[in-house]
Amino acid sequence: MPQNAKPPVKLSLPLEYQQDIFNEIRSEDELLVLARGLGLIRVVTNLLHSYDAAGNNLIIVVGADERENGWIGEALAEHAAISRSPMAQGLSQVNTDAMTVGMREKMYSQGGIFSITSRILVVDLLSKLLNPETITGLVVLHAERIVATSIEAFIIRIYRQMNKAGFLKAFSDNPEPFTTGFSPLATMMRNLFLRKPSLWPRFHVTVAKSLEGRKKAEVIELEVPMSDNMKDIQNAILECVEVSISELRKAGTGIELDDWTLDSALHRTFDVIIRRQLDPMWHRVSYRTRQIVNDLTVLRSILHALLTFDAVSFNKYLDTILAAHQPPPGSNRQNQSPWLFLDSANTIFETAKRRVYTGKPIEGGAPTASETILDSLRPVLEEQPKWAVIAEVLDEIERDAYFNPVSHDDSNGTILMMCSDQSTCRQLREYLQNMHIRPLKLDESIDVDRDDDSDSKPSAKFMMRKKLRNYLDWKKDFARVSASLFTENQKALNGYTDQSGATGYKGKGPPNKRRRVRGGSAAAAGGGRSVNSTLQIAEEKASQVATLMAEIQPTDADAVQKDEVTVDSLENMEDFYELYEMQDLVVIHPYDGDQDEHILEEVRPRYVIMYEPDAAFIRRVEVYRSSHDNRNIRVYFMYYGGSVEEQRYLSTVRKEKDAFTRLIKERAVITSMSFQDGPPSNAVQSMSITMGTEGLVSDPQEHFLRTINTRIAGGGRLAATAEPPRVVVDVREFRSSLPSLLHGNSMVVIPCMLTVGDYVISPNICIERKSVRDLISSFKSGRLFAQAETMLQHYKSPMLLIEFDQNKAFTLDPFADAHSSTSSLSTAQNPSDLQSKLVLLTLAFPRLKVIWSSSPYETAKIFEELKKLQEEPDPVKAVQVGLVAGEEPGDQSFNQTPQEMLRAVPGVTGKNYQRLTLEVGTLQEVANMTEEELDPLVGKEAGRQVWKFFNRSLFED
Amino acid sequence: QALPNRAAPSSILVSSRQKGNPILNAVRSLPWEYSDIPADFVLGNTTCAFFLSLKYHRLHPEYIYTRIRALGGKYNLRVLLTMVDIQNHEDPLKELSKTSLVNNLTLILCWSAQEAGRYLELYKSYEHAPATSIRAHQSTSYSEKLQEFITIPRSINKTDALGLVSAFGSIKHAVNARPEEIGTIAGWGEKKVQRWCQSVREPFRVRK
Repeated sequence: MPQNAKPPVKLSLPLEYQQDIFNEIRSEDELLVLARGLGLIRVVTNLLHSYDAAGNNLIIVVGADERENGWIGEALAEHAAISRSPMAQGLSQVNTDAMTVGMREKMYSQGGIFSITSRILVVDLLSKLLNPETITGLVVLHAERIVATSIEAFIIRIYRQMNKAGFLKAFSDNPEPFTTGFSPLATMMRNLFLRKPSLWPRFHVTVAKSLEGRKKAEVIELEVPMSDNMKDIQNAILECVEVSISELRKAGTGIELDDWTLDSALHRTFDVIIRRQLDPMWHRVSYRTRQIVNDLTVLRSILHALLTFDAVSFNKYLDTILAAHQPPPGSNRQNQSPWLFLDSANTIFETAKRRVYTGKPIEGGAPTASETILDSLRPVLEEQPKWAVIAEVLDEIERDAYFNPVSHDDSNGTILMMCSDQSTCRQLREYLQNMHIRPLKLDESIDVDRDDDSDSKPSAKFMMRKKLRNYLDWKKDFARVSASLFTENQKALNGYTDQSGATGYKGKGPPNKRRRVRGGSAAAAGGGRSVNSTLQIAEEKASQVATLMAEIQPTDADAVQKDEVTVDSLENMEDFYELYEMQDLVVIHPYDGDQDEHILEEVRPRYVIMYEPDAAFIRRVEVYRSSHDNRNIRVYFMYYGGSVEEQRYLSTVRKEKDAFTRLIKERAVITSMSFQDGPPSNAVQSMSITMGTEGLVSDPQEHFLRTINTRIAGGGRLAATAEPPRVVVDVREFRSSLPSLLHGNSMVVIPCMLTVGDYVISPNICIERKSVRDLISSFKSGRLFAQAETMLQHYKSPMLLIEFDQNKAFTLDPFADAHSSTSSLSTAQNPSDLQSKLVLLTLAFPRLKVIWSSSPYETAKIFEELKKLQEEPDPVKAVQVGLVAGEEPGDQSFNQTPQEMLRAVPGVTGKNYQRLTLEVGTLQEVANMTEEELDPLVGKEAGRQVWKFFNRSLFED
Repeated sequence: QALPNRAAPSSILVSSRQKGNPILNAVRSLPWEYSDIPADFVLGNTTCAFFLSLKYHRLHPEYIYTRIRALGGKYNLRVLLTMVDIQNHEDPLKELSKTSLVNNLTLILCWSAQEAGRYLELYKSYEHAPATSIRAHQSTSYSEKLQEFITIPRSINKTDALGLVSAFGSIKHAVNARPEEIGTIAGWGEKKVQRWCQSVREPFRVRK
């Protein structure tokens, strides 16, 4: 690959398929889709290095996230050091607004490799701060995320329009998104302005040959059965899911889940599927439907937590969920989530509790029964089945290492343990630390089910007892917290029932009462848990808790151990693994995408334990093993049989394979149609032919063109006018697709930092764009009111643009609440819906015009229409508008989230809020201020409110 | 703006042109009466409205313009209540957007007779209402405010909010908590922890 007259380039691509890919992508512009885990980033860094070493380049990396930036930078520096290339400059990053225009301009002029946040890049390209013609090439990562209206597609379009010579290479290691929709690959290629896809699945011949040769990694699969309790809970959750879904069906939202089986719940992100189906009409569905969809998300997280959390944490999590599902004040009790009323919900909560402690009489039953021994609580503390397996595996490794001492091997005997996230890491670390500590050796008399096993058997008993102690402590606090939150709710609720009692219907007879009548005794037991459950939680008999506490009191042995549980997990390792060398460690790490390659390379483990399955990681191990002749590796791979985890693993493997198969088929079709449009310049033109072609098209070629229908409208009118129409766009608006479409609609888009409005299309017309979702939230926060106010101050014709999504229903009328709108008096008193807020807004600002647009495409056309016969806007003036004298435009750029959070604090009003953001740096600082400090900024009363909001302690009431 | 005149009629005035319009059936909670007015509806001292069905507009595109001309410059807030009852609404809406700019109309869309009736009722009943409900946050109870505050960063939900305050006791402590501490709460994955910590620690303004 290093061609003549180029400085030597040393690459780090040991495997054959990697070299093939590199040579191919180096010589041609194409879209590379590589199976996950086969080292995509490595190909990218090598490619970048080969350009970097050559020097005199301006190469832009698009779409890299923070972590990838870090890695690419590191890898480039490393490569440069190895190949001693004097020209290499390494990676420069442009990723915050903090970098001034001047600084950026200087950097660009120096050349090199840049990774630039898309939002900044597009602005720089449009403002010619970075002249597209000077760019040597564009490297696009995460190509799967690029849709026609995305900002990256916009970047590529600008680049290709101005620069036909530079290279353009796109990368992805996520084939699934390429297969949704109609002829998706072709669409994607259009968006990328590329013509050749290059597909490298795991079953590619070269890949298979490279990985399945002599140096195969040894993989041992361990199927761990779930405990009976876990199975019960899983089944109960699935039942709840099923009921929730049938409830959704009943609501008549037209959800299609024909193939719905319990099994599919196991291996699919069912809540996401449903959300996606409802998305087109999300702003119209009723509160209840929305609530059930949220419930599904909650249920799925419980399903996940069941496998990953230990029994105590799981129970704690359930307590939190239960308390969070208390009915909000002002709502009637029918708003409870339906799954909480099910018997299975009861099963979930009861079984989860039984995994922690037992011996309590059944709730709701008569407590008059004798206060026997049965009545006292005693700990159960079920352990996660995988823990025991881990202990066994470690034992086996230990023996293995003893009998086969390290010989002519480059790996260093470390055990690498991989799991899904940090909290699991923490759990495992704690387990490994404590598994050989025996609690209660002194007072075994209390321990009812004392284990007769020898001390050698590791167990999590010590750890679990500690957790239980913490849990009981926490619960006391928690009861208080929810009590102090709940009493308020209760008051509001009572207020509500009084009110509705006066009007004379609804809200009477709490549903759990009715349930009891209908459902009989079984439901009664369930109902006890549901409605007033917080109270129930708090109501664990004090005496019982006391005995439980006494039972698990730290013994002397415990007390001795207690202090050493600290962050340093490796402190005492030598005690347990004396046979090992000093350098031998157990390293626990969460899966972290491509970063895992690094870990393998650095740790050079001889043994890997995969606590949870991860398809990509297995491949990484394969790649790692094949890349190094002299490093043996053995992988233990464990999963719960018949669980979500197993299904998820299997389905990801299958889905990826299917995706590649489909892609390969589609590629065959595409190449047979042979991209007749010639050089890339034509591609730019052809994208504009679309949009008008409605109706059925049978001609395959036209058909093909139509697939880019989601493209820009009306580029056909490139007719030469004296001056192209201009639109001044706020830089923050580049997150949306509208600027891209305006550009595609042959308007000149001028990015500016605007203080007032989002778009200025003439000296008089200023437009604030709101999607329906934004509209709801900015009505709620009062932001829209303030924005409308300032627009009116500065412009003659301010406009509010309400923009619907392309695929979403073009209406505000909610389905389910349609009938209630006939009795509009109630709604008139309770101005909560969008319509009434809109009415209030227009009444408050009669001069504010409202534009309704069914999609961003339509908006672009409307803008064009509005601009007719109007003067062109002046960007300099537009920027100045709304600025207080002496202010720089950049001073007005805020971080949205903390700003909104501050607005939500009681006591903060439209007036003092400005002051606060000016004088105080961060939300944290506001939270830590005293009343006296707040007083001069916001006033006494408001200051007190703000202070109280942050400082009110929920532990005391 | 004119001072609200308490003696003003409490009913919606309807032009006799609108006789037989089904949206009148949807006006139920407020009284209405026929009257001789240039607009279709009078919804207050300074507010009037035209009603336009896109279906009708497609057949008689000039109709609305003659009506607007007849109205002249009267009324402060002139609503053009438009019913979207055809599929190809894009072009007429584009045209009406332009019209609303030129003729100082406020375009309000509705999709059913009920909704149209509702808008009329709302305009009339809010005639003197203050705009407080859209001016600032409306949460009432402490728990509600607390929940709202914590759930503003993306992907943090109700359960997480409760978990957070129950672990730290007050919002101040939750704001000051270190990422590792928050990470130990069940349900708080890395992403949520990072979002929360970033939101409370990043400056309000990008540059100072």
